[in-house]
Amino acid sequence: MRQAKDRAEETDESPRIGVFICHCGHNIAGYLDVPALVESARALPGVVWAGDHLFTCSDAGLAEIRAAIARHRLNRVVVASCTPRTHEPLFQAACEEAGLNRYLFELVNIRDQCSWVHMNDRELATAKARDLIRMGVARAALLEPLSEAELPVQPEAAIIGGGMAGMTAALSLARRGFAVTLIEREPELGGILRHLDRLYPTMVDARELVARRVAEVREQANIEVLTSATVQAVKGYIGNYELTVRSRQFGPEMELPVRAGVIIVATGAQEFKPFGLFGYGDDPRVLTQQELERLLAESNLPSPISNLVMIQCVGARDETHPYCGRICCLTAMKNAMRLKERDPHTEVYLLYRDIEVHGTHFEDYYAQARDLGVIFTRYTPDAPPQVADGRVLVYDELLGMRLSIPYDLLVLSTPPVPAAGARELARLLKVPVDEYGFFLEAHVKLRPLDFATDGIYLCGSAHWPAHLDEAISQALGAAARATTILSREQVRSSGAVARVEESLCRGCERCAQACEFGAIEFVELERAGVLYRPGPSLGQKIARVNPVLCKGCGACAVVCPTGALQASHFTSRQVTTMIQAAMGH
Amino acid sequence: MDNLPKIIAFACNWCSYAGADLAGVSRIQYPPSTRVIRVMCSGRVSPMFILEALRAGADGVLVTGCHPGDCHYISGNEKAVHNIELARSLLALLGIEPERLRLEWISAAEGARFAQVVKEFTEQIRQLGANELQAAGDRQP
Amino acid sequence: MKEVLVLGGGIAGIQAALDLAEQGVRVHLVERTPSLGGRMAQLDKTFPTNDCSTCILSPKMVDCARHPNIVLHTCSELQAVAGEAGAFQVRVLQHPRYVDEERCTGCGECALKCPRKVPDAFNLGLSQRRAIYLYFPQAVPLVMTIDPEQCTYLLRGKCGLCRQVCPAGAIDFEQKERELTLEVGAIIVATGYDFYDPTPLSQYGYRRYPNVLTALEFERLISASGPTGGHLRRPSDSRPARRIGFVQCTGSRHVRHNRYCSTVCCVHSTKEAVLAWEHDPETRSYIFYTDLRGSGKGFREYMDRAAREYQVTFVHGRVAQIVEEDDHNPVIKYEEAATSRPQRMTVDLAVLATSLVPARDAPRVAQILGIELDEFGFVRVDPFAPTDTSRPGVLACGCCLGPADIPQSVAQASAAAARAAEWVLG
Repeated sequence: MRQAKDRAEETDESPRIGVFICHCGHNIAGYLDVPALVESARALPGVVWAGDHLFTCSDAGLAEIRAAIARHRLNRVVVASCTPRTHEPLFQAACEEAGLNRYLFELVNIRDQCSWVHMNDRELATAKARDLIRMGVARAALLEPLSEAELPVQPEAAIIGGGMAGMTAALSLARRGFAVTLIEREPELGGILRHLDRLYPTMVDARELVARRVAEVREQANIEVLTSATVQAVKGYIGNYELTVRSRQFGPEMELPVRAGVIIVATGAQEFKPFGLFGYGDDPRVLTQQELERLLAESNLPSPISNLVMIQCVGARDETHPYCGRICCLTAMKNAMRLKERDPHTEVYLLYRDIEVHGTHFEDYYAQARDLGVIFTRYTPDAPPQVADGRVLVYDELLGMRLSIPYDLLVLSTPPVPAAGARELARLLKVPVDEYGFFLEAHVKLRPLDFATDGIYLCGSAHWPAHLDEAISQALGAAARATTILSREQVRSSGAVARVEESLCRGCERCAQACEFGAIEFVELERAGVLYRPGPSLGQKIARVNPVLCKGCGACAVVCPTGALQASHFTSRQVTTMIQAAMGH
Repeated sequence: MDNLPKIIAFACNWCSYAGADLAGVSRIQYPPSTRVIRVMCSGRVSPMFILEALRAGADGVLVTGCHPGDCHYISGNEKAVHNIELARSLLALLGIEPERLRLEWISAAEGARFAQVVKEFTEQIRQLGANELQAAGDRQP
Repeated sequence: MKEVLVLGGGIAGIQAALDLAEQGVRVHLVERTPSLGGRMAQLDKTFPTNDCSTCILSPKMVDCARHPNIVLHTCSELQAVAGEAGAFQVRVLQHPRYVDEERCTGCGECALKCPRKVPDAFNLGLSQRRAIYLYFPQAVPLVMTIDPEQCTYLLRGKCGLCRQVCPAGAIDFEQKERELTLEVGAIIVATGYDFYDPTPLSQYGYRRYPNVLTALEFERLISASGPTGGHLRRPSDSRPARRIGFVQCTGSRHVRHNRYCSTVCCVHSTKEAVLAWEHDPETRSYIFYTDLRGSGKGFREYMDRAAREYQVTFVHGRVAQIVEEDDHNPVIKYEEAATSRPQRMTVDLAVLATSLVPARDAPRVAQILGIELDEFGFVRVDPFAPTDTSRPGVLACGCCLGPADIPQSVAQASAAAARAAEWVLG
């Protein structure tokens, strides 16, 4: 099997390795025979200098490393001490200061994984340390100087979705001085708040609030708004995205290019319409919460209403949508209180499974609703409410009684579901969605606003049903995440990324399939392979790694059938040489 | 083998290598049988590495990585499962006991577990005896 | 000026610091304890994916420590704030560790020799540490600390063994407290939370009955790096706990104690039950709840799965009392909601899911910062600018705003960073 050529071989310089063995006080020296380790290190192939220090990580120790690099013209440095997870960057910096590429450094762990765990057998522990140092030296001989790619960043953002979340993110970025293109599919900005009545828990008027935000956006010179606009194509990568947006806002349909360094997804969610459930779609008295709100906002409700029943968890916490909609209990309570405000004689029944109100303020909101006379009735999933002849039949778990409630209006609380077109947008952006179609973030806990693909961020209900304050927080958060990139002139990659030996690539694309980060694309070969035949022919597609997107996991290198794809700094040769060295060869 | 097997252990930078370090910080003792090779992800461990290790005379190969769902590279550990299974099926063809290969999930907080796995695996390999493969045929570099 | 003070080194403070540092802002991260990490460092696994808390926290802690734009001030507390948004003068008091941070390598030789054993606060008193100690194994910075209230040398001039055995010469009994004055453009409060101490709720028997624990104590027991190495052993007799009762809303949703809902307890009790089963499939857990809440991403499915696959039973019924019978077995007396009848269940271990309350020094910090707290003692924010406190230039994020889960805290932290950046860079 052909291996990619190792760059170290191509240089004329043979390895000149310096080995520095640390005592770490007596943490290592107390359990291993350090002088013997120094002796055996000296005898290893490529080693031109070996010595020991009390504390290699101290200022004195680092100074000695730098001096030794100069004095012995070292081109590889091996330190045998603690774990690379703490001090590797420290030693790498010392090497760089002495003029050596940081990737020519190797740290061998003879403390955390040797002296500290084999304290009762000096001979065997020393033998293990000897092997580990031999492995480190063997690897060091094959280490290559690696460069960190730099790509320029367009200091502009594209935000897809012009609701509260999108507008909040746009304003935050604009205030920081970045140019923002805000892309909204409807003819007007505002998103879902345009269709709501009041907002919990402040009961502020939704349309007034959103109108103020829209006015702020329109006044902000740094924000260009595109309405009646949808994204048709996305090309590029972090720092350099190019979107194609189709817009009808100027009359005839036009295609506009939008360039951006980062993209923020703020496309929101929509209310699930429960056709077929509880008579929705057939019986005009059956509405969703949003439909109720529309009527409330327009003062268009029939009068008087004697009995209004709300049923929670319609199409939620069941087989269609196993999740809890998060906002529905509060929405129902809000609307119930508005109805009571409007007419205290209206009986409002709220049939629920669990009351999902959390946090410091919403519990009081729930108490308020009870105080206003909203009647809460708990039902269990094995005995759901039923609708017949204008009555709702439900078994009240807490009263232990069957209730039969006549209704003038029946309002169904349904969960938010992903916005229409979310999946298509995900495909264009090459980002994942979860099993429900909500966009899937890089890490549920620690990177809730990032996608695994760098340079694209997420906020609001596009991510998961969110209260307004959460959507605003997430939007500000996404703006902060975006500015960690936008505020730089360039983005840098690690040097330890995958690299393609183009002459070996067959274009089978197995590497791209293995890559979680979208770091591999296929481009046409413009020049024929010059080294030897058979190689890829002109016009054939071969792999190209984007070093800024590559995370260096090495999954691609494992599946590459020809060895064209190598994981720099963890090449197959570097690993197998360590295996051989471990076994004493 | 003089009674202490030699085991090549692959450990991923984010989880199992950190777990091994924690065993050290906690001074949990275990047999000096392993030679750890750090990789960024357990998904980097190619079946070829495993075969190479056994061909070079290792008595056992231990591959360790993050628990399912924890992988720093999202699904690298799932790829590791696939690669290890592939390697295991090849071992059978080569007449090597499949028990000489072991895959374990060890998190950065599981120092004691790392030590326990090494103890158990070392004992298991001791029972199996030395890897005869290297002695048997010609070794190709 | 382009500097920001972040008060609190838990996950929220860490995230805010990193987001700002990555934009070229210099961040002073002030943390009261000897290490970064906060509450997350005390958790074993985190819901809903059950990934290891330390594993996901450690890289971020290390990033903070190594970031050229972040200055860590551990063992430090806020003393005074003057000035206004864009130009605050802040005084920070750094308590002495009596260990030189530059020299200490965290090797731990000193702790092995120290003769003074004291209850370990990180493990909630369930185990002991020495007077010289590492706050927890993955502490950042990885530096020892001497407890001046327990150290025999500092108290009476006797011992000093640590200084003798330290191979790096890092012990410095002469270290004094230092006052630092910092000039910052914005301040981010990320001081987190405490757990409500259920001792006053005598009906639950906490501290009277050995096998009644709080949720955080349970977390330490079940942690691989905790006092029992992750084995769930009953405090009374060290026998395995196979029948566990979780009492939700302990202190919460109660007019006399904490009126509000603590948001995360339904899910974290579920997680604890799941972890107990993973350690021992013989475990049966019973979670006594009033409303079963969980609407974050993946939470509801997690709870459903716990019921299906992990022998977790959700019992709708409020717990009235816990008593004890033979063998220190807790007996949970509850009202079964469906029948309104009183019931009792004997368990091996009872776990109280107590309220999340503001950090104990929150009032002092709020006063120094000149920011308003709400009626529960949490930081009051503008509902439409949810990280803005009542004082311009002072932002807040994480659980100091109210109980929140980790994804919420992290998102809020980034939001606070955005707002802080507007003050210093806009």
